[in-house]
Amino acid sequence: MGLVRLVVVGGIILTVIYFSISIYSRSIRRERLEDRWAEDHPDGGDAADRTAYIEAGMAKYESGLRKKLILLVYVIPVVAVVTILWITNAN
Amino acid sequence: MRNVLRGLRWAFFGVIALILLYVLPQHDVVRISGTEVIRQDFSSINRLFYAQADSGANELATRDVRFIQTVKRKTFLLGFIPRDAEGVMVYRNEDSGWIWPPYFKFDSSDLQGEAAELVSTKANPQWAVITHYGFRNRFFSIYPNAIGIKPVDGPDYYPIPWFNIFFFIFLGIALLFVRAMWRQFRERSLDPALDAAEDRWDRVEAAANERKSRFGRWWDSWKKKPRR
Repeated sequence: MGLVRLVVVGGIILTVIYFSISIYSRSIRRERLEDRWAEDHPDGGDAADRTAYIEAGMAKYESGLRKKLILLVYVIPVVAVVTILWITNAN
Repeated sequence: MRNVLRGLRWAFFGVIALILLYVLPQHDVVRISGTEVIRQDFSSINRLFYAQADSGANELATRDVRFIQTVKRKTFLLGFIPRDAEGVMVYRNEDSGWIWPPYFKFDSSDLQGEAAELVSTKANPQWAVITHYGFRNRFFSIYPNAIGIKPVDGPDYYPIPWFNIFFFIFLGIALLFVRAMWRQFRERSLDPALDAAEDRWDRVEAAANERKSRFGRWWDSWKKKPRR
């Protein structure tokens, strides 16, 4: 019973953390793309081209490894719990 | 008002510090003098400071609790500064199971067995390190919960709190990360939204002023003209 409660409450908390980090990471990526465009086009460049450049960069991010690494938010606490469980109860 | 806010902030930090002090593991150098089991009739005050029945058992209002009686090497500053003094310390030994704090301890009986094995006399002492969390309070009959026991060579053993070191490093990194997230959110989402709202409000206000002035001009046209 306690385990069920731990899994449910922990799952909710980790999901909140997961989505917060995803939003943060996406925002950082978009900002970096915007900065890079501004560096290459000091005059601002063509607005449509800029949008296309940024969207292409974001599409690359969405399918990349970095985004999948955020799933570690779920993996690390489970590993930590198993480790603590083992250390506490092993003789 | 500022003093009230300052007081609230200190109270908040104080509560956080007390919770960490209660929950984080601490190491005591002890000589175990005995183990025993006492029935506990919890009150509404001290129930909070006990864990739960053995994890496979039913929780009832009253139950037996295992205790480990020791003679402890006293320290200053949470164990950082050793002292040449001894005092009595009693630990409870309960399963914390899946509940808070997250020690996931299920082996209370085994721990009691280890403690019984290390019982020694003053004449022929066997020293040990007890890892525990919690407070000892004599007025409310509150005891720290023993988590692990390890025999050591002598009373001068100095335990290094590795877990707490890494915990506070991790906590610092996590707080910096949350701060970075909040700044990014404010810069990219909050401020633009506020700017847009302000902008819209400015336009509404300007339009209202415009209408007012048109109405005012019409109204003025009905007023008596000043005599020349």
